[in-house]
Amino acid sequence: MRPDEDVAADSAPPLLRMRDIAKQFPGVRALTGVDLTVHGGEVVALLGENGAGKSTLMNILAGVHADYDGVIELDGEPARIHSPRQAAHHGITMIHQELNLVPELSISDNVFLGRELRSRRGTLDRKAMHRRTAELLAELGLALPPQRPVRECRIAERQLVEVAKALNGRLKVLVMDEPTSALAAAEVERLFTVIRSLARRGVGIVYISHRLEELKEIADSVTVLRDGGNVGSRDAHTVDRDELVALMVGRPLDNLYPRATEQRSEGPVRLEVSGLTFTPTPGQSGTALHDLDFTVRAGEIVGLAGLMGAGRSEVLESLYGARSPVTGSIKLDGRRYAPRSPRQAIRRGLALVAEDRKAQSLVLDNTVRFNTTLAALHRFLRPWRTVNRRAEKAAAAEQNAALGTKTASVETVVGTLSGGNQQKVVLAKCLLTKPTLLLVDEPTRGIDVGAKAEIHALLDRLAEAGSAILAVSSELPELLGICDRIIVLCEGRITGEFHRDPAHGPVAAQEAILSAAMARQAVLASGSTLLGSTHD
Amino acid sequence: MTDTLADSPGSGSGAGAGSGSPEAPGPHRPGAAERLRRALPALGSLQSYIGLVLVIAVGIATKGAVFWNQTNLTNAITAFASRGILAVGVTLVILTAGIDLSVGSILGIGSMTAAMLLVHHGLSPLLIVPACAAVGALFGFLNGVGTTWLKIQSFVMTLAMLSVVRGIDRQVSDNVAVGVQLIGPNGQPTRKADAFAKLGTPGHQLVSGSWLPLFGRAGVGYPLVAFFAVCVVFQLILSRTRFGRHIYAVGGNPVAARLSGVNVTLVVIAVFTLSGMLAGFAGPIDAAYSASADPLAGTGYELDAIAAAVIGGTSLAGGKGSITGTAVGALILTLLDNVLGLNAVSDNLQLIIKGLIVVVAVVLQRPGFLRGAVDPLARRIRSGRG
Repeated sequence: MRPDEDVAADSAPPLLRMRDIAKQFPGVRALTGVDLTVHGGEVVALLGENGAGKSTLMNILAGVHADYDGVIELDGEPARIHSPRQAAHHGITMIHQELNLVPELSISDNVFLGRELRSRRGTLDRKAMHRRTAELLAELGLALPPQRPVRECRIAERQLVEVAKALNGRLKVLVMDEPTSALAAAEVERLFTVIRSLARRGVGIVYISHRLEELKEIADSVTVLRDGGNVGSRDAHTVDRDELVALMVGRPLDNLYPRATEQRSEGPVRLEVSGLTFTPTPGQSGTALHDLDFTVRAGEIVGLAGLMGAGRSEVLESLYGARSPVTGSIKLDGRRYAPRSPRQAIRRGLALVAEDRKAQSLVLDNTVRFNTTLAALHRFLRPWRTVNRRAEKAAAAEQNAALGTKTASVETVVGTLSGGNQQKVVLAKCLLTKPTLLLVDEPTRGIDVGAKAEIHALLDRLAEAGSAILAVSSELPELLGICDRIIVLCEGRITGEFHRDPAHGPVAAQEAILSAAMARQAVLASGSTLLGSTHD
Repeated sequence: MTDTLADSPGSGSGAGAGSGSPEAPGPHRPGAAERLRRALPALGSLQSYIGLVLVIAVGIATKGAVFWNQTNLTNAITAFASRGILAVGVTLVILTAGIDLSVGSILGIGSMTAAMLLVHHGLSPLLIVPACAAVGALFGFLNGVGTTWLKIQSFVMTLAMLSVVRGIDRQVSDNVAVGVQLIGPNGQPTRKADAFAKLGTPGHQLVSGSWLPLFGRAGVGYPLVAFFAVCVVFQLILSRTRFGRHIYAVGGNPVAARLSGVNVTLVVIAVFTLSGMLAGFAGPIDAAYSASADPLAGTGYELDAIAAAVIGGTSLAGGKGSITGTAVGALILTLLDNVLGLNAVSDNLQLIIKGLIVVVAVVLQRPGFLRGAVDPLARRIRSGRG
């Protein structure tokens, strides 16, 4: 690709070398002994499942995490990077998936945020800033007025505004976290053009993506992380896709996804959804859902797969009464069900393990007991709606003991527990409401492998005992490991459905699901399709 | 329900021994320190008790028996009782991560309502008090509606209410104070006026007689009784009822509360209504105490109320705090006022000292505030020098 590739790799020290990086979060070992090398003008793709440690590694590079072990070298010199400011000083810029721009300010104000130009009188020199911004935008092939507020720009434009902001400073290393996940095909092409021109200027680029087929086109080398460690680096032009998937998935699925029986007996239909449609009102976040039909039986775990923004969480939240306006017909155990609030959903036997346990599920400053019984307080009420604290405490202790929550006592503050134990408290809270339909959104995000296996075993036991479970996960191996059936969503539509079929390998299934998840425009008729068939 | 834990329901407590430990032979008794530590969140923060002891110590050190005698102390607390009641309502609102700036104005209109009902309509105090509480509850309800349905930030909504209610107060009173010491044809106060006056009288001044004689003899008047009763009732609501639980949940994490089936809107409207109700309820006490309803009565009280809550350990971020803490905070402010007054400290200096005490209280109550202040500094030094 680049003429000077071999020269750069052999003689001069690499632009960036991260050596033996380790990072410990409370209760979780996020990274151990990770190495990453980026040469000037090279595009390195960083691959790995969610939770493999990509974001942690890049956050260390960007100075977000101040405490870590290991060495970062720039041009062969050890560099001290413990704050975003120091990272910026070394010319390292990270473009996060959720962009870091101030929507109310103009493009030019954003590009110059923190290093505004001032005239001799000390006031802002808007003219000079506009001029420079216009130059930068032109370089990136963007024809936008610098005065336009960022909130009026499209996502793809905002991304390039971030690039312009990076270019305005001293740019040596650019980290892009899944930059194409929200882009249309033409926008992806333009972004790639920009990336290539940056590389020609000698900028080192770390590119995080889940879209394997992009990598050949844009990357020079691929580094794969798994469970917080390096599992290998490959040449992006010669490596084949199966090898990468095998590297990413790697672990024996059987140990992590215990199942009591391979084929569970099918129970009666618990949830029947037809024509489920959700249209976010202006200003409301979330993906619109279009006319979804599916069922979930008692004793069955159904997975919802899809890329970020496919509408998976929106399905769960719509069913849970946390989203409106929702239309379509939903039946629970054959009876009409029109959820208008989570309160109502809980009464009808639903429970939701929300995607973000800290933001959506837990009152972190309060105790394990408080959190465990919050949704089921009606079970511990005496006259005058006072809480029978003895019964409440006993129930909280019992439920948490049953799930194996490691906590000194139920009066421990939840925020001090590890991620895995916090998640068990969330599950305890849900189970205490005695749900018949359990909705779980990313049930094992950000928790360590041991706790993951325990939660998988728990879900399996619940299904065995006759609960219906609808599970969302970004980790395909997880869905493949625990689900009886997987429904694939893309842009709010169902684009595939797969039954558990152990005859085919998990890798083949993963590819088929990924293809369905990426069926961007070619929306397929929903319906049962056999594993291994692809939808393009 | 079967017990799988060491914690047998009869022992009252014992989970501190660890959830996995085998059943202890007898009921496990936690140590005194452990019990104290668990009780603390409900009792307010330790720091506020230290503050209270400090203020009392300064009072005794500087003025001795002049400060530390029943008459002075009941007088002091009586003077502060109406603000203490406001502080209880404001604490409820702050626990849900809101703020209520309108309580001073609502107290004002409560006091004006009381005076007018007494003077113009000759109502009995037994009817006046609930009527004023209802008026306050109405304005509080409007605060709640504004912050939930209209999605106005509580600071803005209650600031607007502060202005509106004060305006109504001044309009209906024509900017003239209404005296409540009615003199009957025989030259003596009327029976109703006499009864009303007792609403604001410290116990030791109560003449032998009709109303609350028991309290009178014990040296405790109606304002104190009302303040402490309000504290007890609302502390019990917070710590014992589902509604109390929901208040903490809404303040701690409104999203989690909603997804756990809590009707967040209803809880927020309820706390604003209760705060307004308590402010309205405090109105007659204030009118009786000052023997008249001034159109400016209660101006600035909201700041004392918020200060009491904050000194008592309630976090403005919501979800943390207690009425007991607020009561201690109110006592600190009361006695501080009194000590400074007895020592003839000028009003201006008093204001400065009060302000400083709020700042100090907040900093001291930050959990591990010392560590929090030192850590980043240490890191900067480490990374800067090696």
